[in-house]
Amino acid sequence: MASARASPGHGLRVLRALARTSLALTLQYRLEVLGEGLLSMLWLATALVPVWVVFGKRGAVEGWSYPEMLLVIAWFTLLKAFLEGTINPSLLAVIAHVRQGTLDFVLLKPADAQLLVSFSKVEPSKLVDVFSAFALAGFALHRLHRVPSPLDLAAALLLFLAALAVLYSIAIIVISIAFVAVRVDNLIFLFGSIFDLARWPSTIFRGTLAVIFTYVLPLALMTTYPALALLGRLRLPTALGALAGALVFTLVSRAAWMASLRRYTSASS
Amino acid sequence: MIAVDQLRKIYRVHKRQPGLAAALRSLIHRPTEDVRAVDGISFHINDGERVGFLGPNGAGKTTTLKMLSGLLYPTSGTLEVDGFLPQKRERAFLQRITLVMGQKQQLLWDLPPSETFLLNRALYDVPEKEFRETLAELTKLLELEALVGKPTRQLSLGERMKCELAAALLHRPRVLFLDEPTIGLDVAMQATVRDFVRAYNERFNATVLLTSHDMDDVAALCPRVIVIDHGSLIWDGPLDDLVKKVKPHKQLRLRLARPVDAADLADLGRVVEQSATSVVLQVAQAELQAVVAKVLSSLPLVDLSVEDPPLEDVMRDLFAGAAAGRDAS
Repeated sequence: MASARASPGHGLRVLRALARTSLALTLQYRLEVLGEGLLSMLWLATALVPVWVVFGKRGAVEGWSYPEMLLVIAWFTLLKAFLEGTINPSLLAVIAHVRQGTLDFVLLKPADAQLLVSFSKVEPSKLVDVFSAFALAGFALHRLHRVPSPLDLAAALLLFLAALAVLYSIAIIVISIAFVAVRVDNLIFLFGSIFDLARWPSTIFRGTLAVIFTYVLPLALMTTYPALALLGRLRLPTALGALAGALVFTLVSRAAWMASLRRYTSASS
Repeated sequence: MIAVDQLRKIYRVHKRQPGLAAALRSLIHRPTEDVRAVDGISFHINDGERVGFLGPNGAGKTTTLKMLSGLLYPTSGTLEVDGFLPQKRERAFLQRITLVMGQKQQLLWDLPPSETFLLNRALYDVPEKEFRETLAELTKLLELEALVGKPTRQLSLGERMKCELAAALLHRPRVLFLDEPTIGLDVAMQATVRDFVRAYNERFNATVLLTSHDMDDVAALCPRVIVIDHGSLIWDGPLDDLVKKVKPHKQLRLRLARPVDAADLADLGRVVEQSATSVVLQVAQAELQAVVAKVLSSLPLVDLSVEDPPLEDVMRDLFAGAAAGRDAS
């Protein structure tokens, strides 16, 4: 019989096995990967069109120059790669599990169920977005004649990880809602549409929108703050606030997940 | 060991009348109703036993299996499986059990079963050497060699079920919960699955709790059966005793050299079937010896066999008796 206690590194081995499986799953359809890759590049081009239109007429928007704006779009593209490359496909897979009742098999496995559902599917074609994001950031920094200091780079990376945590937490909260209201596809599309606004620096939003996009759906945290960090303009209290916010989102999403799981195991048949 | 004591599961379900008006009313007020899926059942199963868990649709079988495997919280009562409280879903517990559901699958649809096996190896933390040994053994027993490399979606139902069983047993569980494992399979494949379950049970002294609507599964695998109906236990004991209690008759199947009159058969027992030269008689157990002697001396016999009544008939009579009991009370 298999040993009752997990051997060291079990979590990492599970993660590796999940990544391997979902990669194998995607590579079953090679043509689809190629098509998706091309489509991603097309999307990036369309994301740039509004920026070209706006900056064709004026030199700066709300204090953001054209290359600075490109830097925000680079972070947006990178984050979108993660959202569409791993978070969204896994999320849709869980919703299918809940609908078909096959979540039982996930819950029967001796590993953390949240980990299992979070990495059940990846889209490697979104790697194209990762490369595009780096190219765009490189181009923007070149136009700005700026080489970020190691500290700025570290801060930007840390804030990006915080942004990822927030994005992932929102996804987990949506999944948790799926346990109660089985049809949440619309919620996913709604979130996708709102997330699109993160391609603009948060300071262009005013009034209620500014409050919502900073504290409720922290789009500011997702793309603007990492860009500000690279530009060396992010203030320390803002950075710390962003990290604390990410931590709160993570804890809330874990609590929501555990509550949904309890509800599922006490109510399903 | 599995110990279940006064186990209950009550679901609260919303109910509403049909029609648009009722739909609108339900937006404001949704009346609920308590459904007693499992209503105070108790039983003990020892290590290595193979037990059939039977009942009509909606009797509470799957709910019980899900409580035993930790997927559902019981409303009340206690249960213990191999020394664990299932609802705590401890890692060590999950490594000791498996649940096979004939109507659902864990195999990854677009990938070959071998990928699911590898994933399960990581999830259950099975050492490489043990994994290879178990897989080789399962491959041999279930004749999987030609199947494990094909995408699951290209496998037939029976082939998929064999691979499901392998995926569910790679971690060598000590307790097997099998929910309709032969549903939809052809006769040959059903026999393969039965033989395999028996072989696994004998090889690892694993405990098997099986639900099935196919009475051949139960007859072939389970010396003991637990029967529930409307969430309550109505029988727990040897299968043979159940048959004797519900249908205290044997069936005599006769092949004759030439047709005989119905009158010649009348005093032997109840005629269940009769065609030109074949007859099926229903005879009380106590009279069997005398009737067989009489048949041998008085009829132009070519062949004779003594059979138990079909288990389907036994179960039908058992459930009808339970329903009559409920109506009376």
